Order: sequence, then structure tokens, then C-alpha cells
Amino acid sequence: MNNRIRVLRAEHDWSQAEVADRLGVARQTVVALEAGKYAPSLPLAFKIGKLFGKPVEEIFDAESAT
Amino acid sequence: MKSSNPTAVANRNYLVEMALCMGAYVAVLVPAIWLLDRGGLTGPLKFAVAAAPVVPVVFVFIALLRYFGRTDEFERRMLLESLGLAGVITALLAATYGFLENAGLPHLSAWFTWAAFMGAWLIGRLIVSRYYGT
Repeated sequence: MNNRIRVLRAEHDWSQAEVADRLGVARQTVVALEAGKYAPSLPLAFKIGKLFGKPVEEIFDAESAT
Repeated sequence: MKSSNPTAVANRNYLVEMALCMGAYVAVLVPAIWLLDRGGLTGPLKFAVAAAPVVPVVFVFIALLRYFGRTDEFERRMLLESLGLAGVITALLAATYGFLENAGLPHLSAWFTWAAFMGAWLIGRLIVSRYYGT
């Protein structure tokens, strides 16, 4: 599922490890999320939205969902 | 400073628990082999001593289950998918060799399945990691 996590992370000047720590996940999870290889659960998606201060639909592209 | 990230904590705890289990495994296996080699054991006691090393192995899987419950959702998915792949690969290997035994290959120990599963789990993990690009 395509998303804007990489762009939002760059805007905040955070490393993947920092985002992982803020979300309470492993860095490899952030890697897979950014690559669009892994679609997160609803709770994690909302957590990501809260972290970047954006609604979930502004971060994840529903059209690219498989 | 130690990370308070729950996934990092899960990794640390898993490593500590696995190390303890491995230590317990050696601590049980060595005397069990010694007692069996020495001879003199008979009946249920002999079987109990022979099977004793499986107890710490059970704790290995308990440690794995605890890790499964504590780690993040993506690692949980990779773990499950790699275990699923390992199951399929092992079943195919075991069935294939079973048929080859009909053609005259020697009968193998049950350890073959254990070793095959562990090897297949590693291969499964590599396939899953590659798929997700991690």
C-alpha cells in the first residue's frame, strides 16, 4: 500500500530508527511500511497518523491497496 | 542507554530467555547422555532420562511464544509466514524422502524432520525477508 511516510519523515527530519522508536516498532517495520510492502493494522495506521498529525487517509493511498 | 521501544525490549528479553534455555539444554543433555552411556538404567526411568532434554526445548518454544506476543505486528507476520513456509517445505521433503525409501533409500531417523524443519525455517525467513525488502 503506497503511502507518504518517507516524505513526512523527511519533513520532520527523523531517521527510520527514530520513527520506529516513536511508534514502538522495529526499524525493519518502518522500512517495509515506507516501501509499501506492508499494510499496517488499523491501530498502527492511526498511531502513524497521530505521530505525523495527519488523518490516515492523507498518509495512505487507499487506491493502491491490494 | 537501553531503548524503551517495546519491540527492542522484546528482542532483548528473547535473547536472554533463549540463552537461558540453551544453557539449561546443555545442563540436562550432558548428564542425560552420561547416565545412558553408563548403562544400568531400565524401563520407564531410562526413557525419562533419554527424553529429559526435550524439557528445555519446550522452554525454547515458550520463549518463542512470549516473543511472538511481545514483538511488533510486522515481525509477528514474518515469523508466522516463515514458519508456514517451513512447514510446507518440511512436509514436501519428508513425503519425498518417504517415497524414495520405497525405492531403496535407507530409513532415516526422526531427527531428519527436526533438522529439515530448522533448515526450512531459515530458508523461509530469508524468502519472507526478501519479499518484504527488509
